[in-house]
Amino acid sequence: MLIVYAVPSPISSVRIGGFGEADYYASQPIPNVSPGLLVRVFLINGSSVKPVNAFIDVYANAPSGIVHVAMGYSSTLIVPFNNTNWLYALGKWASLGIPFSEYNTSMLVFITYIHGNESWILPLVIPYNVGWVYRALGKSTPSDATPRYIVVNAYINVNELRPSRVVPVRLNGTVTDPQVFGTYNGYTVYNCSLSGPQPEVYWSFPLYEFAPTSECVGINGSLPIAWATWSSGVIQNDNGLVIDLSIDFSGTINWDAMSTDYGDLGTSYSASENWGPQSAEFILGSQVTQPGSVYWYYGGATWAIVNYTVWYVGDITGPYYMGTTTVSEVLYVPPNDYYAATFDYGSGPISMFYNGAITLSEQYFGYPALNASTVVDYAAFEYTPYGEEYLWECNGPVGNTSTVFGGVQYTLYTVTLGGVNTAYGLSAAEIGTELGGLAFDVLVEVATEGGATPLIEFLNNVGSAIFDIAGLLIPPSTSSSVTRTTLGIGGVTAGTSLYISVINASAVYGLPTFGFILNATNYYGNPTSFTCKYNQWVQIG
Amino acid sequence: MNVKSLFWFFVGFVFVNFASSLWLLLSSVLTITPIPLPYWLLYTPGNIVTAGIIVASLMLALYAYLGVALILNKMNRGFIPITMVIAFTIGITLLLVRQAIPALVILVIAYLMLIGTYAVLISVTTSRASKALWGVATIILALIPPILIGGGLAVINYIRYMALVEQAMAIMASAIEAWRLGVEQ
Repeated sequence: MLIVYAVPSPISSVRIGGFGEADYYASQPIPNVSPGLLVRVFLINGSSVKPVNAFIDVYANAPSGIVHVAMGYSSTLIVPFNNTNWLYALGKWASLGIPFSEYNTSMLVFITYIHGNESWILPLVIPYNVGWVYRALGKSTPSDATPRYIVVNAYINVNELRPSRVVPVRLNGTVTDPQVFGTYNGYTVYNCSLSGPQPEVYWSFPLYEFAPTSECVGINGSLPIAWATWSSGVIQNDNGLVIDLSIDFSGTINWDAMSTDYGDLGTSYSASENWGPQSAEFILGSQVTQPGSVYWYYGGATWAIVNYTVWYVGDITGPYYMGTTTVSEVLYVPPNDYYAATFDYGSGPISMFYNGAITLSEQYFGYPALNASTVVDYAAFEYTPYGEEYLWECNGPVGNTSTVFGGVQYTLYTVTLGGVNTAYGLSAAEIGTELGGLAFDVLVEVATEGGATPLIEFLNNVGSAIFDIAGLLIPPSTSSSVTRTTLGIGGVTAGTSLYISVINASAVYGLPTFGFILNATNYYGNPTSFTCKYNQWVQIG
Repeated sequence: MNVKSLFWFFVGFVFVNFASSLWLLLSSVLTITPIPLPYWLLYTPGNIVTAGIIVASLMLALYAYLGVALILNKMNRGFIPITMVIAFTIGITLLLVRQAIPALVILVIAYLMLIGTYAVLISVTTSRASKALWGVATIILALIPPILIGGGLAVINYIRYMALVEQAMAIMASAIEAWRLGVEQ
């Protein structure tokens, strides 16, 4: 039967938008061509289709993060299945114990083509099955229709894809840094192993050492603190709606480095910030007439996605290499930063968060940054058939207050995020873990009062390390300086409904930032069902 | 009978089949090696379909040529390949405009006419070896549909072998006949 596959025979093909296609070939083993993934890059200009050199970067999705597998500057890149990093990701999948036939996973391929001062970036998701790889590598019984070669043809269509402009960054005043990858919506993306603020080594004494590798993507631009977004439906239905986005916090803020595999690694950056009560208040329909967002932000901040090597440091054995992990961390935020709230009508950082599929999020996390699953809180104005209007809430504290704006007295209904737990939307289990960590610290203090200091150190560190690993999903904790972020809504048009979703981006980016989304017909992402923390809706007024 | 006209049919048959097989072999192997390739040489489903359409239209042109040559030589059996070409063209056109059922009916007729065309070729070839090879190819061609209907997709690999063998025999038969016509006339 195998003679049919004496030469490669296509058994499946996937089109990836207009960006490319993935073809899967079954074949007998072919001498000198090891089974694996082959990426080919073609430049489409008018009717001409030619192979072209580009930066090709390949990542493997693993159950809890992504693993960098290979990169090169060429028109073709071959990644054999027995690539060490790929095998590591495959091993992670295999260790789940789920039969391979039950699920597919994927590789992420990013292609950057630079011509002159323009660049084109293609993100491609290549589905595959762990079982195929194991069969191709001879780790399990081969069958005749198993793909042995995955060929990805990427098309850079310069007539259809809009290029990004490459902005060179000056290094030492004289040298132009070749390691700027490009700009996106006002963000400069650079290689942070070479220039700019750089990541540092983290110690989780006496357990782990985390050392940054040269795979370091720095992102310089505004770092949103809080935002509110309104849809075109809200613009149509709620002419005259007053929106008030307020923040109120000050003190030292610590940003923590977050690892996809090891959780919180420690403080990556801290700065003294002072944002006295600030509020951005405006009226839809008169002052603002198109869908968009308003946001508060730190300007000129830098955050990064970095690959770290992980070493286990034992007492006697010496350092032991554990592999690599992907870390998201803040590298720099200007102190005492103050910027006025800013609007984003489709080309700012908030749009970048929403359109993550096109830009960074999809590239580095493999899925759109924000979706229905990142919503942590719901509230809604609903109009009853009897002409009464109610504000309902799910999870969050909602209240009402009164304000005068533009000479008119409004009752503002407020959705407030206060304190670390609410701000980060931690689930009950995660809060439990966090509280456990705190309680442990207190216990150690009490038990060793006046005792040996090294013991306190040891217990404290071991204790928190255990709790950190147990609570892998805890987003970076700031010192509890974030005291209050409020969205106020007033002047809801009688007879219309308004749906407010609160979204937590920190779980995705590891950045303490969250937003309110206003819709006229349903919650963000059109969820068919959702769970309230206390399993019930609370009527406010 | 003007034998020269049939000579060019057999030469064209060998050439088109050989070129398409060579493209299949080269592109399928080269595609999985990290050698930069022009896009048309890639073994992608799109290119395979394009190559198939080119080969099919060349073959139909050859069969039309065969039919016309036979009719000009007062051999009415030349209408069989002509009918086959017309039926295939209509069938494929119907497929392209998504008329699946009429297309199927027409393509079944076209397939029967293809078997008939092979029979016509047996009758007009001059060498015994060529007649025998066309004969085996005809039998295989006639056996493929009942086996496929009876066995379904489970026997698809056997069908592939049969088609490969059938094609090889037709190429050999054409080569022998072209050789003979070319050398002896």
